[in-house]
Amino acid sequence: MNINNDINNDMKFLAKSEIRLKILSELNNGPDNVRGIVKKTNITYSSVSSNISKLEKNNYITKVDNKYYINPMTQVYFKTLMDFKNSVQIVNNYNAFWNKHNLNQLNISAIKRLTDLKNSELIETTPIDIYKTHNTIKDQILNSTNIHAIFPYIHPEYPKLIEEVLENEGSVELIVPQSIFKEMTFRINENIRKNAIRNGKLKVYSFKKDLNLYLTICDENMSLGLFKNDGSFDQNRILISTDIKSCKWAKNLFEDVKKEVR
Amino acid sequence: MTSVETKKELNDEFSGIKYILTSGMRSKLLLAMYGNRKNLDELRNELKKPSATILHGLKELENINLIKKVQKYYELTSNGYLLTTNMVKLIENWYAVNKSKLFWNSHDLSGIPDEILNDVYLLKNAEYVTSTTSDLSNAYNTYIKLISKSRELKIIFPIYSESLLKHLIKLLKGNNLKKLELITNEEIFNSINANDTFKKELLNNKKVKIKCIEKKLKIFLTQGDGFMAMTLFFKDGHYDDSQVLIAKDSNAQKWAKMLKKIY
Repeated sequence: MNINNDINNDMKFLAKSEIRLKILSELNNGPDNVRGIVKKTNITYSSVSSNISKLEKNNYITKVDNKYYINPMTQVYFKTLMDFKNSVQIVNNYNAFWNKHNLNQLNISAIKRLTDLKNSELIETTPIDIYKTHNTIKDQILNSTNIHAIFPYIHPEYPKLIEEVLENEGSVELIVPQSIFKEMTFRINENIRKNAIRNGKLKVYSFKKDLNLYLTICDENMSLGLFKNDGSFDQNRILISTDIKSCKWAKNLFEDVKKEVR
Repeated sequence: MTSVETKKELNDEFSGIKYILTSGMRSKLLLAMYGNRKNLDELRNELKKPSATILHGLKELENINLIKKVQKYYELTSNGYLLTTNMVKLIENWYAVNKSKLFWNSHDLSGIPDEILNDVYLLKNAEYVTSTTSDLSNAYNTYIKLISKSRELKIIFPIYSESLLKHLIKLLKGNNLKKLELITNEEIFNSINANDTFKKELLNNKKVKIKCIEKKLKIFLTQGDGFMAMTLFFKDGHYDDSQVLIAKDSNAQKWAKMLKKIY
């Protein structure tokens, strides 16, 4: 992929100076004059003034009646640049979660919307609490009526958890690899299982290819787990979130993986 | 001088973008490895720079864990892949608006929420049609032609346009249009309701669904069979029917669908 020269120059010009970005960030909230921006940002008058004239000269902002207005296209540039910044922050903030992990199961649209995971929390096990990740997920599941989950392996407690949700009139939709499909299904109590399947409360899909992802979406939260590059599941880290955007992100990912089932 | 603290605050606020985006070498290397691992020869041929320059850039990227060397090949790490995918998105976002500069730069974009604007790369294949002094209704006519064959139309309808409403009625009486969905506000709904013909042909028509919302509408968006079309308002508040952005690919339709969902 090549970057078009115009865009390359715009990008360099805007990203190079934090002062210009700050000025644009203020003008993005509403028009203002040099003095107003100086007051809001604590940047010196001379810096604001010289950068404002550079921005104006290059058509990023326009002066009308003594006030500067951000041009609509600059608005798009600025907002998408901040979106990129947020995605870089998510990579850095959860470095231990992504680093040396297999991302094959995350599709492009999920990665392009990485910023939806902004308000997530990284849960890591500690030597004094080695079941922290599992227990966090267990709590989420037990406090929920509707579960969507991708389980790449069977934890001995899962069948029991699923039974409990179903017994409380809840519904469960699962995607599991073909290799554990039978085990997972038959370990759920037969009566509960048959009843739930008949009533459409339990759906289990068998995934034919490798399934390198752990995902749960409960009523009010989601959790995400990854495999390491060496092929083993990383039981020590999960990313969880109660944010609506994150839950939506997870649900979209679930639906995309589900499409690969058939 | 701007104080050290202010400078530090600014650096923190905008951290993470400068290092990658202001260096042509670093960003080009990441883009070159996006999708495929490369060895030094391949990178040299692609970037047309001497080995020393390329090796220097590679070292910098390796130091911040965006790439790694496996045997003789350089490839993105998982962090590098996440970052580069989002950098590609950023470049495509800018490309999409830059391509239709005149359209984007002359309009009020407040009708497009940030989260939808952040995915504007989906419109990278869109083209805008503009009216000229010799053909003042070129944009409108192109739009009318576009909607005339559709079996289904979903429109965010921010203006009371009698000519357009009349045309929609004509389409409803024809064979093609089976379903029309309008999202509008109370003011426009009342105007439609006050006109006997419109009331009879639109409001009392089974094929038509009208949804009234309280939001101020700053966008005219149409989804039809295999296309999306968008017109916007000028910054001074007036509706601009002289420019329409049209796209027929599935990405653009996805974008329009996401936008409509918000209304």
